[in-house]
Amino acid sequence: MLSPLNIRIGFFLAVRQIRRASLWTTGLIIFIMVLTFLNLVVVSGILVGLIEGSISAWHKEYTSDIILSSLPDKSYIENSPNLLALVKSLPETAAVSARYSEGGVLEANYKSRKATDKPNIASGQILGINPTDENAVTGLAASVTEGSYLLPGDYDQVLIGQFLLKQYVPVDDPNLAALDNVAVGTKIRLKVGEVVREVVVKGIIQSKVDALSRNVFMVDSQLRSLIGRSDGNVDQIAILLQPGADPVAVRAALERSGADKNARVQTYADAQPQFLKDIINTFNMLGTGFSSIGLIVASITIFIVIFINAYTRRKFIGILKGIGITGHAIEISYVFQSIFYAALGSLIGLGLVYLLLVPLFLAHPINFPFSDGILVAPVGQTLFRVLLLIVTTVIAGFLPAWMVVRRNTLDSILGRN
Amino acid sequence: MIETKNLTKTFHTAGIETRVLRGIDFRAREGEFVAIMGRSGAGKSTFLYQISLLDDPTGGEITISGRDTGTMRPEEKIAFRLNQFGYVFQDYALLAELTALENVVLPLLMQNRGKKGAYEQALTALTSVGLGDHLHNLPSQLSGGEQQRVSIARAVAHNPKVLFADEPTANLDRESSARVMSIFKDLHAKGQTIIMITHEDEYARFAQRIIHIDEGKIVSVKKEEHAAIALPAHF
Repeated sequence: MLSPLNIRIGFFLAVRQIRRASLWTTGLIIFIMVLTFLNLVVVSGILVGLIEGSISAWHKEYTSDIILSSLPDKSYIENSPNLLALVKSLPETAAVSARYSEGGVLEANYKSRKATDKPNIASGQILGINPTDENAVTGLAASVTEGSYLLPGDYDQVLIGQFLLKQYVPVDDPNLAALDNVAVGTKIRLKVGEVVREVVVKGIIQSKVDALSRNVFMVDSQLRSLIGRSDGNVDQIAILLQPGADPVAVRAALERSGADKNARVQTYADAQPQFLKDIINTFNMLGTGFSSIGLIVASITIFIVIFINAYTRRKFIGILKGIGITGHAIEISYVFQSIFYAALGSLIGLGLVYLLLVPLFLAHPINFPFSDGILVAPVGQTLFRVLLLIVTTVIAGFLPAWMVVRRNTLDSILGRN
Repeated sequence: MIETKNLTKTFHTAGIETRVLRGIDFRAREGEFVAIMGRSGAGKSTFLYQISLLDDPTGGEITISGRDTGTMRPEEKIAFRLNQFGYVFQDYALLAELTALENVVLPLLMQNRGKKGAYEQALTALTSVGLGDHLHNLPSQLSGGEQQRVSIARAVAHNPKVLFADEPTANLDRESSARVMSIFKDLHAKGQTIIMITHEDEYARFAQRIIHIDEGKIVSVKKEEHAAIALPAHF
């Protein structure tokens, strides 16, 4: 069947049929192929992109490339000063932020509250940071949308996550209490352990990362004094690596240096919340399901298009067979046409995805409550889908051609059914 | 060269049996020009399709150059049609998306003659039928007579052993018909075997033998003594 001669004749016929076909018909078929390609790549790409957006935000705004945290059975990272020195000595390290972390309770409106009123309280994690270091690692200052960012010398001032403030909570949830009537400049009470201190809200953090939007940030020395820690041990160390550095390799280097004896060493990927990993798998399955349906619809469409094309041209096919052109050469001509439609459709689709949609979604992500959704289209996966589309189209193009070619030659020439 | 014995063809349509050929014994020699005549529905086209291997008979034998075609596989028949036969149909049967040159060159390419050689041969064939300046025209850009000449060029470009023509002038005006028949006359003069169906007595006279078919049987055979020599005055 696939003799060089049949391929040559098939190509000869296909080129001329495509070149002299109706532009409208060709355009319509290619349009269908483009839509199919987009369905294959974009639907699953957006589903995964919603979660990728969340992971990306978690990575950039909270964990950075590597995060060291206290071991499960310890309340802080022991031997932190030496560990910090080790981390800073690594050539791959670009910036480091050491964090203190302690649970606390916030209270607002305590001055105007009557003895019989229910206290307006909310709980959250209080993070003590060096504002300069933290901003260098996670760019936290960019998340402050009201008020201003912390300065190293700020005394009794805090940044508060939006979801600790009632005006930013979309739905009242009795399990997630929020403070009412609190804005920039409002004084609130901060209780850590048995220590209570009055602080001023200096800024409000808006982020889709829970670790930012549900927590409170203050200068590290202030939190240290609240919790009474003076040994230099911290609870977290976030590390930003130099561009191009491999987090896995750095994690391995830290482990070789014994960092894992005192801290849990994780790359940003390791530190992703488990629910995000689960959602990615689920969305991948959903995306594959949608794509498969798209692929089946596309193959049926191509089958119908090629069948109508071949059936209405059965006289043409009959003449070809009559003058001695082999059925295989005719079938191959339709296969070439199918490949042309699928390849051109995919090529236009690739252009749309990589030159338009991916940059567009990066510039204007989909605003979801838990993430800024982007379009994820890894080149390898996309090319695999192109191949899948072409193979499916080839089968869908070959079958109807084969069905028409095997008809009686004379019946085809004479237009007899 | 071509011989049939007791050739029959029966069609079954919606449970109705139609016996179109009822036992035809026929023989055509190499280089002979045979005209087949008969009224519509007599079975002449069906007979031509059987002996040109475009269709399979219901019964009887067809022998071509000593080869029993009943034992041929479909692929062999396709190869036989490609290499040994040429066809001229009433409605030209040109491929609409192919230019005149491409229509003629296609069977030559299928014969694996080499691109350059095939195109040269196609060019020669088209020039010989007077279409050397219409090489790149699509069939839709040609008149009926020109299309039929392209069809003849395609049929003879590879020097087939037999040229089959099914009412080649039926759709043409008198002038175009004359030109087509003139080409047939020249081909025959060069030794081409031609088997042609026609309704026109004046064109049948070009043949050496005229066979009349009626009710699926040969009812008369007439020899035209001066067929290849004498032409009506208007030719």
